[in-house]
Amino acid sequence: MGKKKSVVLLVIYTLLIAVLCFICTVSFSYGTDQLYTFSSVMRMMEKDADLGLAYGANADAGAYLGGGYSAVYYPEGVISAREYADNLDGMTDEEQADYAANYVRYPDENGSVYLEKGVACNEDGTVMSSFEEAFSSALETVTQRFARLRVDGARVEAVDGCMIRVFLPAMMDSEYTAISVFAYTGELRITYGSDEASATALFTPRAGETVADYVEAVNSRASGETGYVEFVFTDKGREALASATSGAAETAVTLYFYVGDSLVLNLSVNEAYDQNTLYISGSYTPETANTVATLFSTALSGTEDDLTLTPSDAYFHHALYGENTVLMLYIAFGVFFVAMMAFFFIRYHRLGFVHLYTYLLFLFAMILCGWSIPFLYLSVETFLAFMLASVLLCVSDAVAFECARKEFALGKTMTSSVKTGYKKCFWKLFDLHIVVAVIGFLVYAIALTSLQTAAFVLGLGAAFSGIATLLVNRFGWAVMMGTSKKPGKFCNFKREEVEDE
Amino acid sequence: MSKKRLNLLPVWAAISAVIIIAGIVLMALLGFNEALDRPESKTFDVYYNVVVDLSEDRKSELATYCEDAFADAGISFTDKQTLEGQTDPVSTGQGSFSSTGNDFLLRYTFSADVSDESLAAAKAAVEASIAGNEGFALPAETYVSFDTISLQPMNEAMWRGAVAVAVAAVVALIYIAIRFGMGCALTGLVACVNDAFLTLSVFAIARIPVYAFAPMLYAAIAAAVSAVYWLIRCMKLRDDAKDPTAGVLSADEAVANACAATDKLVWLAAGILLAVVAVCAACTAMTGATFIFAGALIAVAAGLYSSMLLAPALHVKVKAHFDRMKKKNARYEGKKKSAKADAEA
Repeated sequence: MGKKKSVVLLVIYTLLIAVLCFICTVSFSYGTDQLYTFSSVMRMMEKDADLGLAYGANADAGAYLGGGYSAVYYPEGVISAREYADNLDGMTDEEQADYAANYVRYPDENGSVYLEKGVACNEDGTVMSSFEEAFSSALETVTQRFARLRVDGARVEAVDGCMIRVFLPAMMDSEYTAISVFAYTGELRITYGSDEASATALFTPRAGETVADYVEAVNSRASGETGYVEFVFTDKGREALASATSGAAETAVTLYFYVGDSLVLNLSVNEAYDQNTLYISGSYTPETANTVATLFSTALSGTEDDLTLTPSDAYFHHALYGENTVLMLYIAFGVFFVAMMAFFFIRYHRLGFVHLYTYLLFLFAMILCGWSIPFLYLSVETFLAFMLASVLLCVSDAVAFECARKEFALGKTMTSSVKTGYKKCFWKLFDLHIVVAVIGFLVYAIALTSLQTAAFVLGLGAAFSGIATLLVNRFGWAVMMGTSKKPGKFCNFKREEVEDE
Repeated sequence: MSKKRLNLLPVWAAISAVIIIAGIVLMALLGFNEALDRPESKTFDVYYNVVVDLSEDRKSELATYCEDAFADAGISFTDKQTLEGQTDPVSTGQGSFSSTGNDFLLRYTFSADVSDESLAAAKAAVEASIAGNEGFALPAETYVSFDTISLQPMNEAMWRGAVAVAVAAVVALIYIAIRFGMGCALTGLVACVNDAFLTLSVFAIARIPVYAFAPMLYAAIAAAVSAVYWLIRCMKLRDDAKDPTAGVLSADEAVANACAATDKLVWLAAGILLAVVAVCAACTAMTGATFIFAGALIAVAAGLYSSMLLAPALHVKVKAHFDRMKKKNARYEGKKKSAKADAEA
């Protein structure tokens, strides 16, 4: 490559790196009174709630620091001791005595809840076995719902064996919706009519039948930013729906979807509907559609006797790992980066710049993907996967440099050394990257939550590392070496000294 | 050393077997030590409301009362949090919570073995301290309680993670089988499975505290790292096999040569990986993230063990077997060819 061409390409390459560096890492405010803000890609990249940094594109520093929300579900017949005390406050002595006679403090005189006699406990204060069974079933249902949300960090806890405490990390657009609707218990019911009060049941199950004989499954679907709840009816369910909507063309019919006694959504139908699958969108996002579908799906096995739950006592929790974790991760990356560049500059002198440019391009590609791919976010696990991919790139670049060094030592020209060196290591590096990428992408395809995202980052990192080391690195080498008159000195490569015999 | 380790397959296999069997038994009986996720715990809550103008001094006094009471009761907490009350989930139709600005909860977490009597004594002491302080104008605006908490397991992520690691290892090794031969793939598969189980076993036996999601992450790292280390050996074995003189070498000589030539690179790669993970663990030492990085060190080290000891020793046997099969096939093919030639003549 000619020197002029090399210089032009090097300038373009450098400008590209500089622009990417600016876009990815620099944030600043501008305009009158610093009214406008330019947010870097790193700032906009979504971050794990455990890390303790503002989450999401619009979150300013200090808006909130990761963390999440918890709430307590109180079953019917269970109230908190605080609520009990509040209730007693406005009563006369006689009313207080009557009220107190209906409740027993649980599990002992220091307990944090009161159980209502005849609902949750017997007259002697022992918990009713029917309540224990119903609570166990409700706990299982709630756990199943939160597990099916597949949100990294979601928790469900049994409190004193009579309450349910749930936690969702601040990584959703609507934690409130999930926490509130997941408290609905009972079976899925669908009614139809012109108004809610006069609506009649869509299905009339015979003895031994349940709603599952009419509704096969409830799933969520997404198309871009819009989410859908998909009801899959059995043939019986389809017949019932067709019959209910047969006159809809003349008089609109509204379908009301309940879980227990709670109305979750309604759908106005203007024409006869005779299909097995019904899609409902409304204003659902993919996330809320998934929440509602999960609720309906678990309600297929619900019963009329399910324990009623009331959500209360919601609190905001700070980030699990502490508030400075992101900063610490950046520092760890900084240490790695400095050590890496020190090695490359010491061993390969100005050839270190080739690796620097390659690595920066790899880094910015990863950052841009982390920002633009919806399910990716910065977490400890994804950071670890990124670091492993970084090591892969560094080792690959070093292997390529060493192969060329060996060829150069034998007396070949630099161009020939690079060509032969790459030829010798190409398939080795190719195999290495393919194996890591295959492992990463396959684990991503099967695993869930944090392991899934980390595996995807590892797979993506391996793919980018392969491209970077086999293509970008070689291109950068050709461009930069073209600007040097002494390629051997540029790369710190030396010829083998052969003594004359 | 290089040759000696190749002849000690029973020793390496026994070491792995003992650790893995003990680990599997412990995993089945006790599971992992998921103490970081607090599967069983007790919480001591002090609710307070700032509508009655509870100043910052009063808030810190509350914390002091609690901590003094715990000290007097002879108990110590593992975590302390100040939680901010949110609008009641049934009161609005919005998608996200918003702060009430008034309600706070000072929550101390204790291990499950702290007795209820000690917590009751602490509760009584805190209530007495609050009642005795005129600064708390309305005692009703503070409320002290304690609860026993039991985390519900969500096992789907765990078993899906295990299936994912197994499938990924098998598919990656099918690729190795295509590129480097069935012998290399078999040894690699054993190494990957060994390293994944060895990592999990070390966590189970040593009762190292982990987050519930972490074991499968470590198993995946161990499998990936193990595959990479073994790939380095495979590349050298293939290069050596291209040498015309390779045919005269026995399996143990061929493997010993490949190991001697690649040991440095494997050590280097492992050293870099260990150093990078150790730097991450050190930099995050003041945060909860350090446990994740520290655990990853074990996964990387487990891969090094099998790459250095178990896999080469095993591959001597595997390669010898495949070489014998190859020779047998070659003889059979030769006989067939000569018989065919005789028949044609």
